[in-house]
Amino acid sequence: MPGTKDRWFKFLLLMPAVLWVLAFTVYPLVAAVRYSFSSYVMGRGIVGWVGVDNFTNVLTSADFWHSVLITLIYTVVAVGLEVIIGVALAWVIHLNMPGHKVFRAIITAPLFTMGVAVGYLGVTLFSSNGGLYAHLLAQIGIEVPWLSTATGGLSAAILLDVWRWTSFIFLITLAGLGGISEELYEAALLDTRNQWTVFRYVAMPLLKPVVSIALLLRLVECFKTFGLPYALTSGGPGTSTQLFSTMDYLTTIQFFDFGKGSAMGVTFLVLVSVVIVIFFRQMRRQIE
Amino acid sequence: MAHDDDKHQQAGRLLQSFFQGRITRREFLTRASALGLAAAYPGLFTARARAAGGNLMDSADVAPYESPITPERAKFLKDKPYKGTTINMMVIKSTVGDAVKHHGPHWEEETGGKVNIAEVPISTLHQQIFTDLSTGLGRYDIYQTGAWFYGDYFVPDEPYIIPVEDFLKDPKFPYWDPDEMMPAIRNLYTWNNTLYGVLFDADAQVLYYRKDVLNDSGNQKKFKDKMGYDLPAPPKTMKEFHDVADFFTGWDWNGDGENDWGLALHAKVNEQGFFHFLTLAAPYVISKDNNSFWFDPDTMKPLITSEGHLRALKDYVKFIDNGPREMLSWTLGQGWNLFLAGKSVLEPTWGDLPTLAQDEKNSKVKGLVGAAPIPGTTESYDPIEGKWRKYDMNLVGNVNGGSWHGVISRLSKNQEAAYDFLAFMANRKNEFFDVTHGWTGVQPGVKYAFLKPKGTATLEQYKEQGWNPGDVKEFTNAYYDNLVNPIQETYLRIPGAAEYWHEIDVRVSAVLAGQKDAKQALQEISDAWEKITDRYGRDQQKALYRASIGLTS
Repeated sequence: MPGTKDRWFKFLLLMPAVLWVLAFTVYPLVAAVRYSFSSYVMGRGIVGWVGVDNFTNVLTSADFWHSVLITLIYTVVAVGLEVIIGVALAWVIHLNMPGHKVFRAIITAPLFTMGVAVGYLGVTLFSSNGGLYAHLLAQIGIEVPWLSTATGGLSAAILLDVWRWTSFIFLITLAGLGGISEELYEAALLDTRNQWTVFRYVAMPLLKPVVSIALLLRLVECFKTFGLPYALTSGGPGTSTQLFSTMDYLTTIQFFDFGKGSAMGVTFLVLVSVVIVIFFRQMRRQIE
Repeated sequence: MAHDDDKHQQAGRLLQSFFQGRITRREFLTRASALGLAAAYPGLFTARARAAGGNLMDSADVAPYESPITPERAKFLKDKPYKGTTINMMVIKSTVGDAVKHHGPHWEEETGGKVNIAEVPISTLHQQIFTDLSTGLGRYDIYQTGAWFYGDYFVPDEPYIIPVEDFLKDPKFPYWDPDEMMPAIRNLYTWNNTLYGVLFDADAQVLYYRKDVLNDSGNQKKFKDKMGYDLPAPPKTMKEFHDVADFFTGWDWNGDGENDWGLALHAKVNEQGFFHFLTLAAPYVISKDNNSFWFDPDTMKPLITSEGHLRALKDYVKFIDNGPREMLSWTLGQGWNLFLAGKSVLEPTWGDLPTLAQDEKNSKVKGLVGAAPIPGTTESYDPIEGKWRKYDMNLVGNVNGGSWHGVISRLSKNQEAAYDFLAFMANRKNEFFDVTHGWTGVQPGVKYAFLKPKGTATLEQYKEQGWNPGDVKEFTNAYYDNLVNPIQETYLRIPGAAEYWHEIDVRVSAVLAGQKDAKQALQEISDAWEKITDRYGRDQQKALYRASIGLTS
C-alpha cells in the first residue's frame, strides 16, 4: 500500500511543524485564556477563579486604554514615517545616484542593532545635558525637553524607531523596484521626462503589493515594540509613554499578576486582530 | 504625652549607649524590654548565635583576605574545602554587584571554590529572582536581594530562602557578628525574629549639602536679606529645606559662568527615584505618636490619601523646580553627578554620594560635603486618629533603599559554600573595605564603621582609604544619627511590596511631570493598592503588615 506509506511519510514530515505550533502558539494561547479567568499569586500559582473580573478590571482601567492609545500613536507615526522615508530613499538609490552603493550599505546598518541598545543610546543622544541629537536640533531651533515630558519622550522613541526600521522598508522596496522591468521605466521616462511622474504613476502602483507586505510586517512588529521605548523612558514620566507591551510586561512578568496580564493580552490581541483584518481587506481591494 | 516623650528619649539614649559600648547587650535587652522596645526591634532579640567567643585571631596565613578569623576556620581552609564546588550568584548590575565581583576571586583563592556571578539590572532583578524560584529552576545558590523583596520569599508555605543562624554557630565559616549591625538595619535582614540575610549593605538616606556654600558669608547675607532669617547650615525643617533649595536655584553661585541649582534628585520611573518621596514624606506622617505610614493595621486600608501624605506630595513636587527638569528622566548616577560637578547645593540621597565625592577625577566637592539627617517637620498628621499634631521638631529616621545583601536559595545544592562566600564578604576586613570604598556602593551599617565615640572606627582608618577627614565625619555621624533615631519610618516588606511601590513610583512621577493633580494621584495609588491587597489576600497581608510594624496580633 504505497498510498498509506506516503500518507504516513507526509504526516511524519509535518509532525515537527505541528508540534511546534501546538507547543509555542496553541498552548500559550490556551494558557493565557485560562489565566485570564483566574487570580494568580506568585509562589502559590492560581489561587481561585474570578470569572470575567480581570477583563472588567482591564476594560475599566484608564491606564490600559492610555497604553493602547500611546501604542497606536507610536505605531501609526513611526511606521508611517518609515514607509515614506524608506520608499523615497529606495527610489533615490534605484536611480543610481553617485555614491549609491556606499549609501546603501550605510543605510542598512541600523537594521542590525538591538532595540534595547538603541534605547539606551537614545538616553545619551537626547539628553539636554550635552546629548548630540538634542544639541543639533537645538541649533535649528528645536529645543524640546526630550526625556522629561510625554511628547518629548514619545517623539524621541519614534525618531529612534524610524532610524532603526526605515532600512527594512528601504530594502524591501528596493528589491521591489529591481523587479520592475527597466523597459517600463525607460518608456515612461521618454514620455514624461520627469522622474516624479514615473515614480508616481509607474513605480508606485507596481510597488503596492510589496510595500503593503512590508507595511503589514512593520505594523505587527511595531504593535509589539518593547525594548527600545522601555530602555529610553521606562514608560515615564508617570505612565505617559507607557506602551501596551510595557504595561503588560510590568503586570505579568514584573509583578506576576498573570490573571490581569493575560486578560490584557487577550483583549489587546482582539483589538489588534480587528485592525489587521481591516488592513488585509483594504489591501486586497487595492491590489485587486 | 510627657510620658511618651520621656520614653522615646530614653529609648534613643539606650540605643546610643548600646552602640557606643557603654552598656552590655544583656543590660540593653533588660532595659529595652522595660521600655517596650522589643516590638520595634525584633531583630535584636534573636538568639545570639556567634560561635567564636573570644577565640579570635587577627590573621592566618591561609586566609589573607579575612580578619579576624577563628582557629577552626584557619584549619578548615588548609584543605581547600570547596575545591570542585561552583556556586552561582545573581547580583544587581550596579556598584554593589561590582563589590561582589571584587571579592569573588579572593574567596576562590582561599577556598578552592568557584563563584559565577550573573549581573541583572535593577528593573528586572526581582522578576529574575522570583522566576528562578517559582518555576523551581533554582539556577542560583545566592541572590543579592533588596530588603523589600523579603515578603515575597515567604509567600509559599516553605519559604524560598533559608535562615543562616545554624551556619553562624559553626566556627569553620568566616567570622562575622550580626550583633555588630545597627538594629534598624538588622531588622531588614530578619524575618519573624530569624536572620536570613548576611551582612553587606545598609541603605538609608540623609541630606548632603555644600558646607562651603552654606557657610559663605556673602551667601549668608544674601539669604538673610531675601528670606528674613539666617541661612541654616544645614536646613533642619522642611520649610528651611525648601527655602535653601529655592534660594540657590537659578543663579551662578559657584562662579563658573552658568546658572546653578538648589537641589539634585533622580526621578526616572522604574528606577529608585520614588525613595526620595518616601524619605521626604516620612516626617509629615510618622512621629513618636504614629508609625503607620502605609496601611491602617486594623483594616489594611491604605493611608496614602491622608492629609499628611497629600501635604508631603505637594511639598515634594516643589523641589522639581530646584533642579534641571531633566531630573524626571535621570537615573541615580545622573542625580549624583550634578552634586559631584559642584552645581547643586543639596541632595537627599544614599551614602554613595560622599564616598564618590572622594574621587577627585569625577568630583569637584571633596572636602566640601556636609551631611545631616533628613529635615523634620513641626507638624505631623496621624492618619489613624485623623488629626495633625504639633511638635517642636519631628525628625524621622529611615532605612530607605535596597540594603542589598545575599540570601541563600532553598533550592541550592551548595548551601554551605554559598553561606561561606557571603560570610567571607561580611567578615570585618572585607566589609570595612567595602564601606570605605565608594565604588562598592556599600553603606555603613555596623558599629565598627562609625567613628569613635559613636562606633569604633578611627579617622586614620578612613584617611588611609583616601577620605577627607571632614567629609567622613559629616557622613558617618549623620548616618549614625539617622539610624539610631528611635522614630523610624516603617519599611514595607510584605508580599507584593515591589508592586505597591511601583504604583507610588509612576503616580508621583506623573505629578512631578505636571500630568496629574497630587490628590488624584494619591487616590489612584490607594485604589491600586486595594486591588493588590485583595489579590494577595487581605488577612495575610494584614497579619504580615502588623508584624512588620511591631504589632503582635
